[in-house]
Formats: sequence, structure tokens, C-alpha cells
Amino acid sequence: MNTSDKKARIVLENAGRIDPLSIKEYMNSGGYEALKKALSMQSSAVVDEVKRSGLRGRGGAGFPTGLKWSFTAPLQGQKYILCNADEGEPGTFKDRLVMEGDPHKLIEGMIIAGYAIGASEGFIYIRGEYYASIEKIEKAIAAAEAEGLLCEKVLGKEFAFKLSVRKGAGAYVCGEETALIESMEGKRGNPRVKPPFPGVSGLWGRPTVVNNVETLANIPYIIKNGADAFRKIGTEKSPGTKVFLLSGKVKEPKAIEAPMGTTLRQLIYDLGGGLAGGIKFKCALVGGAAGAFLGEDMLDVPMDYDNLLAKGAVLGSGVVMVLSEKEEVMPVLKNLMEFFVHESCGQCAPCRTGNKMILDLLGRIEAGKIAAEKGFEMILKAASTMKETSLCALGQSPILPISSALKYYSRELTIK
Amino acid sequence: MTDVKTPAADIKAINSILDAYSGKTGILIPLLQDIQEKFNYIPREAVELISEKFHIPYTKITGVITFYAQFRTEPVGKYIIRTCMGTACFVNGGENILDAIREALNVEIGATTGDGLFTLEKVACLGCCSLAPVVMINDEVFGNLTPQKIKTVIENFKKRESK
Amino acid sequence: MSERIKVIVDGKEVMLEKDANLLSELRKAGYDVPGLCYYEKVSHTGSCRLCVFRRKGSAKLETSCTVAVCENMDIELFTADIEEHRKNLLQLILASHKHDCMTCEKSGACELEALAYRYGLDLDSEIFPSIVDKTLKKDKSSPVLCYDPQKCIACYRCVKACDEIQEKHIIDMDGRSFHTVVSAGYNEWGGSDCDGCGECLQACPVGAITSKTAAGKGRHWELGSVITTCEYCGVGCQLKIYTKGDEIIKVEGVDAPANRGRLCVKGRFGHDYIRSPERITKPLIKENGAFREASWDEALDLAAKKFMDIKEKNGANALGGLASARCTNEENYIFQKFIRSVFGTNNVDHCARLCHASTVAGLAITFGSGAMTNTNTGFEDSDCIFIIGSNTTETHPVISTFVKNAVRKGAVLIVADPRRIDLARRAKVHLQQRNGSDVALVNGLMHIIYKENLHNKEFIEAHTEGFKEFAEVIEKYTPEKVSKLTGISEEKLYFAARAYAKAKNASIIFSMGITQHTTGVDNVMSLANLAMIAGQIGRHATGVNPLRGQNNVQGACDMGALPNVYSGYQKVVDAPVKEKFEKAWNAKMDDKVGLTVVEMMNAAGEGKLKGLYIMGENPMVSDPNLHHVEESLKKLELLVVQDIFLTETAKLAHIVLPVTATLEKDGTFTNTERRVQVIRKVLEPLDGTRNDWEIVADLAGRMGYKMGYGNVWDILKEINALTPIYGGMTPERVPSGLHWPCPNAEHPGTPFLHKDGNFSKGKGTFKPIEFKEPAELPDGKYPYTLSTGRILCHYHTGTMSRKVDALNAYVKEGYVEISASDAAKLGIQNGAKVKVASRRGEIIITAKITDRVVPGSVFIPFHFVETAANRLTNDALDPIAKIPEFKVAACNIEKV
Repeated sequence: MNTSDKKARIVLENAGRIDPLSIKEYMNSGGYEALKKALSMQSSAVVDEVKRSGLRGRGGAGFPTGLKWSFTAPLQGQKYILCNADEGEPGTFKDRLVMEGDPHKLIEGMIIAGYAIGASEGFIYIRGEYYASIEKIEKAIAAAEAEGLLCEKVLGKEFAFKLSVRKGAGAYVCGEETALIESMEGKRGNPRVKPPFPGVSGLWGRPTVVNNVETLANIPYIIKNGADAFRKIGTEKSPGTKVFLLSGKVKEPKAIEAPMGTTLRQLIYDLGGGLAGGIKFKCALVGGAAGAFLGEDMLDVPMDYDNLLAKGAVLGSGVVMVLSEKEEVMPVLKNLMEFFVHESCGQCAPCRTGNKMILDLLGRIEAGKIAAEKGFEMILKAASTMKETSLCALGQSPILPISSALKYYSRELTIK
Repeated sequence: MTDVKTPAADIKAINSILDAYSGKTGILIPLLQDIQEKFNYIPREAVELISEKFHIPYTKITGVITFYAQFRTEPVGKYIIRTCMGTACFVNGGENILDAIREALNVEIGATTGDGLFTLEKVACLGCCSLAPVVMINDEVFGNLTPQKIKTVIENFKKRESK
Repeated sequence: MSERIKVIVDGKEVMLEKDANLLSELRKAGYDVPGLCYYEKVSHTGSCRLCVFRRKGSAKLETSCTVAVCENMDIELFTADIEEHRKNLLQLILASHKHDCMTCEKSGACELEALAYRYGLDLDSEIFPSIVDKTLKKDKSSPVLCYDPQKCIACYRCVKACDEIQEKHIIDMDGRSFHTVVSAGYNEWGGSDCDGCGECLQACPVGAITSKTAAGKGRHWELGSVITTCEYCGVGCQLKIYTKGDEIIKVEGVDAPANRGRLCVKGRFGHDYIRSPERITKPLIKENGAFREASWDEALDLAAKKFMDIKEKNGANALGGLASARCTNEENYIFQKFIRSVFGTNNVDHCARLCHASTVAGLAITFGSGAMTNTNTGFEDSDCIFIIGSNTTETHPVISTFVKNAVRKGAVLIVADPRRIDLARRAKVHLQQRNGSDVALVNGLMHIIYKENLHNKEFIEAHTEGFKEFAEVIEKYTPEKVSKLTGISEEKLYFAARAYAKAKNASIIFSMGITQHTTGVDNVMSLANLAMIAGQIGRHATGVNPLRGQNNVQGACDMGALPNVYSGYQKVVDAPVKEKFEKAWNAKMDDKVGLTVVEMMNAAGEGKLKGLYIMGENPMVSDPNLHHVEESLKKLELLVVQDIFLTETAKLAHIVLPVTATLEKDGTFTNTERRVQVIRKVLEPLDGTRNDWEIVADLAGRMGYKMGYGNVWDILKEINALTPIYGGMTPERVPSGLHWPCPNAEHPGTPFLHKDGNFSKGKGTFKPIEFKEPAELPDGKYPYTLSTGRILCHYHTGTMSRKVDALNAYVKEGYVEISASDAAKLGIQNGAKVKVASRRGEIIITAKITDRVVPGSVFIPFHFVETAANRLTNDALDPIAKIPEFKVAACNIEKV
């Protein structure tokens, strides 16, 4: 199923090639054609096309996008489409590349999504520190408005759509869709209890679809070229491309858009130029803070949602953070836990207390106050209860990096 | 919390920001962001005025302010140095950069230099991982840093200010 | 409504209520599901995660507190792995909680402690080290509460209790992650608007929020407890009072129909007066201008002899008595019986005259029954609430919470009040009428309803009389004219009129802002007209609701402590009624209506009334024109006062008799919603004191009339026999809290009156009412309008509340509210002393600059004897109800 076309570009197709602020250049390279096509279709046909494409949410969870839309599309009354651009996962910078390199692609994706689900208003919730992204998206929105793409009658059709930017205020948890909605409503970003899901009751209690930037940036391609063309890229259960984010001890840290199913080896060695300084590969944190440390034995696993899941790992946001034999995992693990401690919203007990507990225990292990074996037993106990009982994904996350890091840590210990 | 009275001119400025949001709902965060942009922190009086004008209970506002990392309740320096401690930067020596800044400015994390120019912050991933390690000074990004490079950057800022 | 369906729990079938909360249903079915954040009275949070379960076939755990019971539920609840996670969770929570259980106030009642015990978490098995942040500081700034963030488990119960039950929005979670703590904002609890109701305290499952007043006074298991009725206001909250020995330690709200567990600061923290050293415990006789202690025999013999002398010399009508809205039904019944049988006069009244006499008269004329038509909690179900002349949040704090709950659910709140009271902020429209222009306002609303054809024609036709004449009067009250008379914009008048008339279930709430006027009865009848024209009466959550002030003012009226009626509003001028009582009481009754409070004062001043017997009232603070009251009382040949303290009135007495306090006796109170509730002895009476009813009975005996009651329940049985509306309120049934009328032992009581438009008097009567100005208007010499009233943390004449440190910590002394523009004009600083003078007197008082009052108006709470507002108030009376005009007087203000 894996295509050999390593250069497949959908999401970053224009990034770096056109002037991101020129709507003309975007249009000249085929931009907003998908929107025209979509508006000539029944909105339900747009949903069906996305469904058929097999596109899955690129925020990390991999939920089928068309299916998500199909829950909201039939509902009546005011609906909203929200774009989650509160990128904050360590190692992740893909949304920024889209917003700064090709803002109109996201806007086009959002208008199509709005049409498909029957939303008349959309918001792009951008991380507050992404000054350039905010500026470019705002300018692009103004340009789109001037072109009659965001108005009471989009392209003259009976479809009203308006779009605006909301700036995040520094809370990673707001990447969780219900926390994002709470934040949009001017509240603390505590995730809501689900159900009800946002698709039924979201912003201001109205049906709301929340999609990631990368997900929405795939939409114009799917509509323009059809689901079948999209399905030709990537793997059967995870069609399309993925923006992988290469960082750490790799020679060429960068974002690489490659078909789903590309292997770690291809990414690190073929596309990333191998490890910096030619040092031996130890492992890579794949998927983000909530991802797993994968070693040499995993270098040839095709990276998509299901293949990684089958190996007890996750695709997550596409982060590939490489560690060489020179780095120890313990400090990295502590760094990850500091992140989780800092970003836990504090609402549910396992996440509020568990992250801090794990960080404290790591410190005790490192300081030799507690035997590593005993310490990790306690850590895993906490992490597994967190995984099973936390209210949202944040508290469910630490178990994976911790458990996958363990074997490298014990190896480091024996070397010492 | 320092108990400094906000001058009347500032109250006027706060009110004019509030007026722009008059009659709208769900605007608390953008509103606070605008106020912080103006003052570089959220003065206490602003909380009182927002509460009064928008009928938002006082602690619902302070609860939001303390929840989001962006908001500050104390004045900060002219330049905010955000040192990225995201995993990629961390792996690529982010802590050395942080130490270099501390040394160069003689300031601790969260504090402001005596001259009121710089405030040092340690933040999670800034989304510039391919440039790791990274520091952001106000809205400007500095990547691929070494301790020496960041010291030069800071020196340049200092020079700019002394002119 | 409640369908029960089959749910399989750990393989066993149970029947649970469909769509109800799963956790709550499981607990009701006997499953002891652990949970720390679930609190039935507020929305679920799902934060502690202890109540997790797993649907058969699913991999993930869900919280039962956030899920509704539904069809085909087959769940795992107590499997080994789920229990293991619960144990881990508990250990994590314990590690983040400072467990100094040995000295913790909550120990013994702590839900975390109980779970730790249940799951066998001892120090040896505590696998996790403490992660408590020792730098977090306690917030001890509240006068009544202490918050310890190191013990807080961030369950949100307190925040939601404050937000969703009391709706005060004082606290919220602050910070995030493991620094998520409760905060009252930058100024801490003490500097916030927290009024100390303690709903958060009651909600806290651990020792994070504790009572400052209970600190160090006893472990939970050492305390005894008694459930009784609050002795402060008319809401009738049920209290669970915890005691140790002779001391009250703490109070919890009981989940009873009158208050659903809610309390205010007085109910929770206001009972310390009961062991004040100022309590009197020996009868006192005044000799040569000074009191000396006396024996009960000596004091009572002297009182008996002197009363008999006056009666012999000057006739029965030279005697009179003031009963008490603070005393029980049984005591008031005995007292009026005493005045009527032993004194032989109808000169009996009590302070209801000063609060709701106009209500009793006005609603009797229009509806046939002068009481609240609906229930306290029923307001929650109204979709439009019109509050006029009631500062509900301060005077009936718990009722105001049900109003706020209704507003949150979408009800339209209309507030008419010259002051910007707390509820005005929550109202859709605030009608800020000029003091005393209520009739014009209400006529104006009815004009709009009528002109816009929003009146309920069927209701008017079927259930009322007198509409035609009435309509002719309201025709004249055009919005333009009313706007001029009241100072309210026409737009607001239209909004209010339409909202009220169009509502499905609209309630009117009023209180002394309506009644305490020379047009008090007119005001009340206008509101009755309003309800009838819109057909907004006779249904659940729909009616006209005078909120009664005192704990038992409704009961004192019901018991006939009024000059014109026997118990149950049976008229003294009705011959058959008189005969019935003469026969039952075995004495001759006077068939003429007696004197009211203010009339008795006047008669005393004129020397016509010579002997007065006062049970638990304090007219020397509560009555208007105090200077005149004082002169009158001083002229009496005999003044006998029984009270718990040597009040300002008692000081003027010839004989003072020490009595037991409410919390030291048994009996019943009738709250504002006509619900008869039991009071129970919480503490043993102080040595030397006696119950009011026993003193009255003893005195009767010494005056030759035998009252042979063994206990209060014997009195209640006599009330049952002679009072139709209380016929079924037997000693056996009163604990269930029935509403009168309840004519017989099978009757379920009457939660709302005038069902389906069937008024107590048959048809409701429209009364055409023209607007009249108050008796005294501002003029050149006295240019300001003075209004008086109550504040939350004090009560009536302050004899109780002002002896409570916790309450004094909120407000210690009187003040005058004045607008910023008036203050600037007069050169008055906030907190400065000013002189307020009227035609009747003057006081020196602290100025409080506020936007609650409009320019030209000032407000003084009347609780404080040193700055007694009633030295200034006007004793001009309503011609029918004889209620004085406390709410409008002309005054002048000067800087001193």
C-alpha cells in the first residue's frame, strides 16, 4: 500500500513556494478551486467525499474526520467550526508551517468544512506565542473577505461564513477540544466531561466541530482531486500524507511531509541525513510528549496510526525526536514530566497529583534516594491509574513515554 | 502582589479597551490579552473594572488569569526572554542557554533585571524545534543558539537600549 | 415520571431510575460507591475519579457521577482492578493532602479519612511520598472561615456550592496543575464580597474549609446534635446544631423543604448570644429608679397585684400586652389568651404591626387571606419574578438563593426598589422608583397590561369582582404620567409589564418596602390587583408573596396576637366566634377591637393605658419616633417585660422577668410560607430562667385564672381544637412541616393558596386605588428622603445578633448610606461622622458612600440602638393597618 512517492506534498504543497500573503498566487496555483467545487456540491456530498477519503484527524488521535463531520452535519441551528491551532506539543511545529507558509489553504479548508457541516462561523484558535502565524492568518482572512470568500454569500451562493482568530493564552491542555471550547467561552481551560461531545454540544452549547490545522489543510486536496486520489497516497487505513517533525540529534532537523507508512529509518536516514556527528542512534521519541521511545528494532515499522498502535506506540502529532547514544533518557523523561506537571489543568485528581508524583519520584531515583526498581514500580502504578482514570488525554499520556523509556534507562544504569 | 495604584490615565486606557468589547460575550481572554498588551501585565484595577462592566464575578477573572501561563499580574521588563525548554531544545542544550542568560543578566527565572529591561522566563516548546535550542525575545525568535551566541544577542539588545 | 429499569451491576440485577444520575442511584440501591467530588446539590465535576465503572465489553473506565442510568447497562463496579485503581487514586490524593488528622477539625466527619480507613490505607501501606506544597498559605482572613490549601483536594464542591446553590460567585479555582487551589481573589476571603453563609464549608468533604468559630472546641465525635428551626428570620431554615456540654459548637443546614440545607451567616454562625454574660437570670424589680433582684414569687405577685389594681381602678382597657414574633406559637397563643381572658381586653398586638399589618389587611380584603401564597423553594420554578420593596438577599437570604436559581434557569427577574440592591444587578430590569411611588408604578404596569390586551380575561371573569370600577382608575395611569410620578422610563415600564403578564408562572415578592408606608394597604392591594389582572395566582410558583420578617411573625399573627382576631383570624367582633372562645376559655371576652402597637403607645402617652405587659419585644428600638415611645413607656404605672436580655425596653420596666431563649425550649414556629415547624431544646435553660408560657400561666394563676398545661404540646392541642386552619397540625404531625390551612388530621396541608383562582374569600376583589404621596416629603429644611431597613448580618433590634462576635466582625455599628454626589456636595468623606436629623430627632452616624442609593436619598439600617434610625422615622400611620411609615421620612444631613 505504501507508495514510493516520498515527495508527496498536500499540506505543505505551497509552503515556501508561493508568497503566503498573496491570495492571487494561491489562486494561481489552484487555490480556492476546491471551495468552488464544494459549493457546487450538496453539503452532504462533501461530507461523504471526506468520509470516503479516509482522512483521519492529524491532531494525534486519528479519529476519522468525515465521520466526525457526519455527526454534526444533520443537526439544526447555529453550528461552529473551530480550528485547533494551539500547537504546544514539544517537538511539534507543523501547524505553524501551514499557517505561515500557506494560510489560505487552511482558510479554504475551513470554509469547506463550514459548508459541509452547516456552520456559519469559524474560529482559528492560534497559540498566543505564534505571532507570525496570527499575523499571516489575519491578513489572509482579510484578503479572503475582500475576495468575497468570507461573507454573507460565499462566492455568491446561499452560504454565509465568517472567520476570525482567537489567540491562545498559554495552556497546552487547550489543545484538548473541549478545553479549547471552554477557553473560547472565556473560562479556565478545563476539559469537559464527555459525553456530550462537542459535535452535539460544543461552543455555547451548540454543535461544534473541532479540527486540527493539518487535518483542515488536507480538505482542499481531497475535494479538488477526489477521495480516490487521496487514498492512493499513504496506507489503506491511514491514507494521505503526514507532516513528520524531525528534531533532536538528527543532522537535518526539519518538517517532512511524507506518505503515511514511511518508516522511521527512511525519515531519519534518507530524509533527515542520519544522526548529527554520525553518532549511533539510541532511540527516538515518536508522537510527542505523549509518545513512545522507539529503538532500532522499530526503525522499519511503517508509521501510521494502526501500525504504531499495534506496536504499543502512537503516531501522535508526527514528532520524531532523535536521541543518540550520547544522551541519557532520564533527563529527557524528567523534561517531559515537567511539561506534564506544568500543563495539567488540575481538574481531575489523577492528573493533578500523578504527574507531580511521577516527577518527584524521578527526582528521588536520580538522587539515589530511592532504588530505581522500586521507584519505577511506584511510577508505573501511578501512571497506569492515571491512564485508566484521567478525565482527558493529558493525564492518560505519561505511561507511554515512561514505560517505553524504561529499557533504555536500565541499560544506562548498567553502563554506569 | 504589589499594591500600586494605577494612575487615572491608565484607568482611562483600560476603559477604552473594555468599551471595544461592550455587549459581547465570551470575550474575557481576548480582553485580558489586549490589556496585557497595553500594560505588559494585568493591573488589579482592570480586574475590578471588567467584573463591574461585564458582570463577570471577580474570581472567575482571577481564576482565568492564574490558569493561563500568558497572563501576568506584575509588571515585567521591556524584553521578555522566553527560553525554550521543550524536549527538542532541552536535548540540544537548552539548559546551557538558560544558564548563559542567567549569568549574562544576573537574573533568576521569573524575575526582572534591576534596570527593568529583561524578564527571564522558562517555557515549554515554542514550536521552533528544527532550530533548537531556541530563545524568543518578545516576538523575535533566535535559533541554533550556543551560550556564546545568546550572550551576543543580549549584548546587542543592551547596546540598542543604551543608545 | 420516574421509570425504573434493569441495570446489571457486577452480574447482579438492580432496578434504577432511568435518566437519573448513576452514582446517586447506585448509592440509593445500597452500593457504597466511593466518591469525593460528587455533591448531589450541584452539577457534576468528575474530578476525583473514584466512582469509576466499566461497561461490559468496553475497555475504558467512566465515572458514574457523570453518567445517567440508561437501557442495557451492564457494568463492572467493584472488580479487583477497579478497586486497585481506586486505592491508587486515594493514595495519590492522600499524598497531595496534608493529613494532620490528629488535630484536624474535620476528623471524624472527613470523607477522605473515611475512605482511607475503608481501603485500609495506613502509613505503612502509603506507597507514595507526600507532594504537599508546604509553601501554600492558609487564608484566615474571613471572620468565620479558614481555608487551608494544603488540605484542599480540588474537588470543586465549594466553588460549585457558592456558584450554583447560593450563587454568590465568591470563590473559584486558582492556578493550575497541583497548584490548583481555591481562592477568593486578590483580596482573599476577608476582602471579598463573601457574606459568610458557609455553604462552601458545608460542601467541603475534607478539612480544607473549616469554621473558625468551632476551631478547637471539640472533636466531631464528642458533639451532640439537635435539629431545630432557626430563631432569626421568617424563612424557617432547619438547623442541625452541634453542641458540647453547654456550648454550641457548629451548625449545619438540614436538607428540609423550607431551606434545602441552605443557611445564611446568622443561621450558621449567629447563636453565640445564647451564653452571653448579659443574659438575665433573676427577676428584677425597680425600686427608686434602680433594679434589684427578686424571687419569682415576689416579682409575679407584685405584677399580678398591680395589674389587678389597674383593672379595678381604670377598667380592662387600661391594660394591654405586646406578644412576640420571636416566641413560639404556643407562647403567643397563651399570651393573647391571657390578655383576653385575664386582662379582659383585646389590647394585644405585636411587631407584625410594624412589618406586615398592611399585608394582612390588604390581602384579606382582596384575596381573603393575608399570607404568602406560595412556598420558599417554589420560586425556583417561576419564570418571572417581580420583587418590589424587598431586599431579599439581606432580609431573607435563603429565599433569595431560590430566586437566583430561577434566574439562572432563565426566569426574568424584575426588581423595583429605590436602592440598587444586590438582586438589581441580576435583574433584567431595575425599576428604581421614587420612594413611596409604588401605587403609581403598579397602576402603570396594569395600565400597560390592560391596554395591550395582556390581561387574563377568563380569570378576571371567572374568579374576580370589581374589575370595571378598577379599570376606570388604571386607565388614568398612562406610561407617560407614571414615568413622571415614579422616575422610571416608559421603556422599562413596558418591559416589566409585558414580561410579568406574558409569563407562564409569575411570582410577586414583596416585603417592607411595600408595607411600611402610610399607603401600605393600598400598596399591597395594588399588587393583589396586578396578580389578578394577569391571572398570576393560584398555581405552583405563581402568586403574591409577602416575605415575613421574624422567625415566627406568621405564627404570632396566626395565633391571634392581634387586637382584632383570635387565633386563625377569627374576628373578635363576630358574636359566634366570641361565644366559642368564651365557652372554651371560660371567661368573658370584649367584643370591641383593641388597640394596636402604636395606638397603645399613644394611649400610654395620653395616660389612658396604664399597664403594659411585654413578652419579648423591644419597641424602644423597633418602633418609629422613639422619643415619643420612650416618653409614653415612662408614663405607664406598670410595665412588665420578659426577655432574655435587659433590652432598651426592659430598662424602662418596673418588673423584668428572665426567660429561656429559643434554643432552650420546645414548641413550634410558623415560617413565612405558612409552614409549621418544630423547635427543639438544644441547650438546657440557664438557671433561674423560665419559659414564657409558664410565666404567663403562672401570672394568670396569681390573678385568679387557672391555666393547667403540662407542656407545650397540651397548648398545641388546644390550638388544634379552636383554630380551624391549624386543626390538623397536631403534635404528632408538626415534625413533617405542613402548610396551613390544614383543617384536620388527614389534610395534607396547603403549599399554595387560592388554587385555580378559588380565593379564600370566594371571588378575588379588585380595589381601585389612586396614588397618594407619602406623609412627609423632602422640603427646604429636610431635603433628603430617609429610608430604613435591615442588613444581612444583623437582626431586628440587634439584641441577639450584636452579641455575636462573628456577626460584629462583618458590621459592628450603624451607618448611613449616601450617594457620592450628595457626599461631595456636603463635603462628606467616606467613614466620616455626620448628623442626620428629622422633625422627630437626630443621630450622629458614620457615612458610607455608595451607589446603592440615588442622590437625594439616604438609607440607615435600624438595628443599632446607638444610631437608632427610629429616632428619625415618622410615626404617621396607614389608616387601615395602622402601620407606620418607616420607609419615607424627610431628613437633613450635616457634616460634624
